[in-house]
Amino acid sequence: MLKLEERRASIQPIKSKLKISILDDEDIKKINEAAISILEEVGVLFPSEKALKIFADVKANVDFDKKIVKISSHLVADYLKKAPRCYTLAGRRPELDAKIGGENGTYFYCSGEAPNVVDLETGERRRSIKSDVENMAKIADYLPIVSLVWPTVSAGDKGETAPIHGVEACFNNTEKHVQTESVMNEISAKYTIEMASVIAGGRDKLRERPIYSLLLCGIAPLSQDKGGIESALAFAEAGLPVGIMSMPTMGLTAPPYPAADLAIGLAEVLSGCVLIQIAYPGTPIFITIQPATVDPRSGDYFYGSSFSQITSAAAVQVAHSNGLPVTSQFSFGGNAYKLNSWQVGMENVCGHLLSVMAGADMSFGPSGMIEAVALLDMARILFDREIFQAIDIITKGIEVNDNTLAFDMIREVGPRGMFLGRKRTAEELPKLWPPSILFEKSRIVGEKYRDAEEVAREVIDWILKNHHPAPLDENVKRELRKIAAAADQDENLKGGIRGR
Amino acid sequence: MDNKELFAKMEQSIINYDKDEAVRLAKMALGKGIEPAEAINEGFVKGIQAVGGLFGREEIFLPELVMGAEAMAAATDILGEAIKKSGRKAKYLAKGIAGTVQGDIHDTGIRLVTTFLVANGFDIIFLGTDIPSSLFVEKAKELKPDLILLSALLTTTMPNQKEVIDSLKGAGIRENVKVLVGGAPISQDWADQIGADGYGENASAAVEVAKKLIGG
Repeated sequence: MLKLEERRASIQPIKSKLKISILDDEDIKKINEAAISILEEVGVLFPSEKALKIFADVKANVDFDKKIVKISSHLVADYLKKAPRCYTLAGRRPELDAKIGGENGTYFYCSGEAPNVVDLETGERRRSIKSDVENMAKIADYLPIVSLVWPTVSAGDKGETAPIHGVEACFNNTEKHVQTESVMNEISAKYTIEMASVIAGGRDKLRERPIYSLLLCGIAPLSQDKGGIESALAFAEAGLPVGIMSMPTMGLTAPPYPAADLAIGLAEVLSGCVLIQIAYPGTPIFITIQPATVDPRSGDYFYGSSFSQITSAAAVQVAHSNGLPVTSQFSFGGNAYKLNSWQVGMENVCGHLLSVMAGADMSFGPSGMIEAVALLDMARILFDREIFQAIDIITKGIEVNDNTLAFDMIREVGPRGMFLGRKRTAEELPKLWPPSILFEKSRIVGEKYRDAEEVAREVIDWILKNHHPAPLDENVKRELRKIAAAADQDENLKGGIRGR
Repeated sequence: MDNKELFAKMEQSIINYDKDEAVRLAKMALGKGIEPAEAINEGFVKGIQAVGGLFGREEIFLPELVMGAEAMAAATDILGEAIKKSGRKAKYLAKGIAGTVQGDIHDTGIRLVTTFLVANGFDIIFLGTDIPSSLFVEKAKELKPDLILLSALLTTTMPNQKEVIDSLKGAGIRENVKVLVGGAPISQDWADQIGADGYGENASAAVEVAKKLIGG
């Protein structure tokens, strides 16, 4: 059983001793060249007058009628140089800072933003509401494997301002860094940035210690979203980190080859990165390329494919070759999963193991998501935690020294002896049997271990009852409520969402 | 070439996913004074039905289905104008209009659904993305479809599916059409909640639901 104890939030990245290179230098060069050819000759659609003007100001080839921007290799090189390779995604206290680009390994998100949730009381599927976001943020706050927190479900009871309420719910329930992927228009962005500013103690302090960031997803192939790109510019203006994501679907919104997906995905994300660096040079940015496949019989979107996983992991090398930090690998599985299924386990181990070994700065990590990103089952995050525990152990490799070779023990015990009743064994053996939900002893005769799903649900229940994330100051909480309420009343905001 | 032969070639052009040939044959039919509805019913529809059958038996996959539907669309575009002028109608299972709701420009899913429906003998007009409720209503009045298909990928644009349904009610034409909703965040619960007639989890399911709705 997991050791359940009252404690403050902490974070635990995974640093791998095992390293893999999926692509060789020549492969990386070719992919980069192909991406540049796409940017120079095909271009990317930016349906935002604001973005087009920013590109035009630096003499990019802008077609204002078609809203297509073609970006030369020189512009790409000049502006990527301005992006920092190392920076901090700050938590509310320094112990919770994710130091991106450093030597700490891979940091994991609790992410997703599903529209549905498995109800904790009834076990039934229903539309998610704001209190679900609060609960999941609390769970993410408790589990050290989570370093970065998204609203993992939509605050569906809040209608059009759900993304803003989702961010507020996270700020109120975790001290860890909060990131949004659904605040996708400039007005909403400004409301949530104001929330972060209130917590940080002002705009300058927020810029110094960015406790909030954005991930913007383009629309494959080769298009950005007007609201999203203008939201990203607002984040960058406030000095907050911005991630740019591409989700090419092999054979559907991208060519049916992993190499081409890396190239087209890279072109998409670089177009966003260049825009941000032109507008606000030095903004911390990162990229992520998340390919998927489709079921060729139904068109069902499928994240869990091995083809997607190897491509996503290869994107780590591609990103680093451009001096950019990278988030790798989804852990959302396919479309019709049950909790505690071998299929979900297999897919998530493969993908994340590859990405950790490839040296990803971040990875989407333990999410609790099933059915692609459509359903949150909070108990699943504990199965995800098992997977990351395994990856942590595996990627630490094997320590070889006099102590671990234990020749002295072997000499003492000798042939046919027993190593069990030894002090060193007593110290070490528990480490070989780490806390887990899988091996809880059963009281039922004939059943060795308890049903892991049942155990997971008990643990979730315990966390929600007993973990109390460090609260925000009452005045700050009140301010956040006021900001959310103002957003609810903002007619321009409703127009902004509707009219985009 | 007699008409029967021409119809057989039309059927085959779709089975071969040969857009150029389909267009050539459609033009030839018009030149010969063949009733365009007859060309569609006796030629191209049979082709797309055959393609749909192969797909259903997993002998071919989505790329071929899309190629078949595109060849079909190219041919019916040629014949469509002529059909409007003539009194006869092509034998489609039903007519529909489809699009993503306002604020949403993600159209991959709805385009697949449209393709599946076309391959199953529906006449679907794809209105595009980011379609305001008023345009759905206007098109519903103008084209008198049996089905309206509304897609939304974002949780923030889902409410606009309800807005379309409410607008149809407001215009007094809600009872004339069946409304199907779909998209990644959409569920049967949501469909029930907003008073839609049907929900398809994926493109194949959408076809089954559409067939049920127009049969009922």
